[in-house]
Amino acid sequence: MPPSYRNQKQAQRSDPRLKKCPFCFKDTAYMDYKDYGTLKPLIDYFGNIRNRYYTGVCLKHQKMLKNAVERARFMGMLAYRK
Amino acid sequence: MATFSPTTEDVQIYEFCVLYPFPFGQKEENELLKGVEELFAEAGGKVLMKDPWGRRGLAYKIGGFTEGNYIVYYVELDPSKLKEIDRQMRILKGVLRHMMVKPPKNYQYLSYAEQFIKWQEDSKKDVERKELEREDKLKKQVVDKAKRVKTPAPKEPEVAKPMSGEAITKELEKIISDDLNI
Repeated sequence: MPPSYRNQKQAQRSDPRLKKCPFCFKDTAYMDYKDYGTLKPLIDYFGNIRNRYYTGVCLKHQKMLKNAVERARFMGMLAYRK
Repeated sequence: MATFSPTTEDVQIYEFCVLYPFPFGQKEENELLKGVEELFAEAGGKVLMKDPWGRRGLAYKIGGFTEGNYIVYYVELDPSKLKEIDRQMRILKGVLRHMMVKPPKNYQYLSYAEQFIKWQEDSKKDVERKELEREDKLKKQVVDKAKRVKTPAPKEPEVAKPMSGEAITKELEKIISDDLNI
């Protein structure tokens, strides 16, 4: 029996649980609120922090990220809500 | 690129980020920056690095302004003076936002321009790494496929050759004699 369209789609998409933390790869010890380049991909269109299920960031680095984003928001570098 | 460490045990290095509006008079701007530096001097601080970012758009309106100027100071200070500096900064005319952060140990103090160059290099490296990984994966796939094609078909079990007439009679006799012995 040929695989259904839904099964094909599922096979193409990688499992989000298999993603690895990009910050653990670089041994990040501190996330800078001034570093827009690293923060930007982890924030969605509306200015919310992306769920770590989708980005693969570990809990330790997600907490650092939250800190950095909140600081950047306060200084007007990132939006609270678009 | 530089790394600073506190000269004595009583002092710490702090990062001060100050935001002031963009359409701002040259005279007022000079006064403001002078005022900020005076605050540090009064508290007995030493400015290690000063990094003006220049004009930048704000993510949301602050005090009716959509554009602002950022300036980042790295100052060596006595921690007990922080509260007073914070209070004074709130009063200082022209400051839209300010923030004090204590950078971690071995923090690399980069100016805005240097940081941007570093980010560009890092993202370039990331792209190259991903490209290499993809190539490796493809190569592995090709090798695996070649292995699958080359593997020979499993051998059929060997069938014993039919015996000749004499050999059969000999074997039969042997078996019969064995039976009699039992």
